[in-house]
Amino acid sequence: MSGLGWARLAIVVVVGVVAQVSVLDQLVVLGAHPDLMVLLAAAAGLAGGPQSGAMVGFTVGLVADLFVDTPFGLSSLTFVIVGYAVGLLRSIPAGRELGSAQVAACVVTGAAGTLLYAVLGALAGQSGMLGHDTANAVLVVMVGSLVLAPIALACLRWVFSGGRARAGYPVPSGGSATA
Amino acid sequence: MAATRRTSQRVTLLMLVLASVTVLTLDYRGEVSHGIGHIRNGARDVLAPLQRGIAAALHPVGDLFAGAARYGSVQAQNQQLQTSIGELRRKMSEYAAEQQQLRQIAALDKVTFVSNIKMVDAEVLSAPTSNFRDTFELDRGTSSGVAVGEPVVGSNGLVGTVTSAGRSTATVQLITDTRSSVDIRLGANASGFGVVTGRGLGERLNLQLVSGSPNAKETVYTAGTVAAGAGAYPAGLPVGTVSSVHSSPGGFSKTATVTPLANLDSLQYVGVLLWLPSA
Repeated sequence: MSGLGWARLAIVVVVGVVAQVSVLDQLVVLGAHPDLMVLLAAAAGLAGGPQSGAMVGFTVGLVADLFVDTPFGLSSLTFVIVGYAVGLLRSIPAGRELGSAQVAACVVTGAAGTLLYAVLGALAGQSGMLGHDTANAVLVVMVGSLVLAPIALACLRWVFSGGRARAGYPVPSGGSATA
Repeated sequence: MAATRRTSQRVTLLMLVLASVTVLTLDYRGEVSHGIGHIRNGARDVLAPLQRGIAAALHPVGDLFAGAARYGSVQAQNQQLQTSIGELRRKMSEYAAEQQQLRQIAALDKVTFVSNIKMVDAEVLSAPTSNFRDTFELDRGTSSGVAVGEPVVGSNGLVGTVTSAGRSTATVQLITDTRSSVDIRLGANASGFGVVTGRGLGERLNLQLVSGSPNAKETVYTAGTVAAGAGAYPAGLPVGTVSSVHSSPGGFSKTATVTPLANLDSLQYVGVLLWLPSA
């Protein structure tokens, strides 16, 4: 990822965290709110591959951790895994990168990431991470992702297009876009 | 080529996971956690003004969504609030009632017009249950010294007379009862004499004067004489105030209406005077 890419990522992360904290956190449904941050990590994996996904996931996670009251590093650990895993998804089938498939992948990984976050939190000794609230959180994040995933994808494509003017998208070869 | 890339990907993943776990571990250590807390607070402080502005602009939207989604729980909450409001109202009225009781008891202690007669405090158990009898039950009976014929007073004036007494309850006939008649004198200086009879609960008393001429707002007191077939009362108990005077042309005597001084509509505590006419 180029310097311009990182600069764009910084903008996306700052705007994203502001949107998360001041808007999305207020949309509480069933005791949970949509999560844009996990989607940024997932979209990074889709747009940039596993390595970039892990790196962006780590960055986004550290920033997200500043605004939650779970242990510092829990989000980054989760998002590293999410970004990497989604990046691997991208490299499996060639020529299948339809927008809707990507959105679907984001939605699924958003939900999986939320569940992973709860499991890791429980493993880290946090009480109340796994319970009947967890299912609600996963559901709400999934539904919210249907709306937020296209936005996150557009943002991360913009980030990764920073170093490759005219490169466009998709890159169906299955490799990392940040070579 | 592909293999080395895959290896580098895995190394990156491993490093980032380790970095995250390290940060996570550090956060569990006191002093580092303290520093992270500072960073967190700083970040939140930076974002706070922006957050506040956006929240102010967007809160109604969020509330709309949240409200629609939480309709059920909002309804339940509403129900709960209604219940607690009802409970509070009930408590408030209980409190007000207790204060009222306290005032009545305190006022009974200050009844000055019966200073030389022993008095038993009693609570009203039931309001008049009949439409035709202005009587009520007291929670004191013969065991407390209450006996038939004893006068009953409220904090302001005469209430009635005991018409029956059990061991722990007694029945009091109000002066407004149509069977009641009380010999009275006009004013403190006894400018006239007459008989006050009841006309029913909530009605004013009827005053039939034998002598003298009443003025409006004049207070009438018990005369201390025993009327035939009526209750007997010690002299000087305030009964009521003259509210209107009628004089029938050609009639021998004047009549007037008297408003009872005791608040007979909302009696809760009364005093039974341990006084009986000496036979």
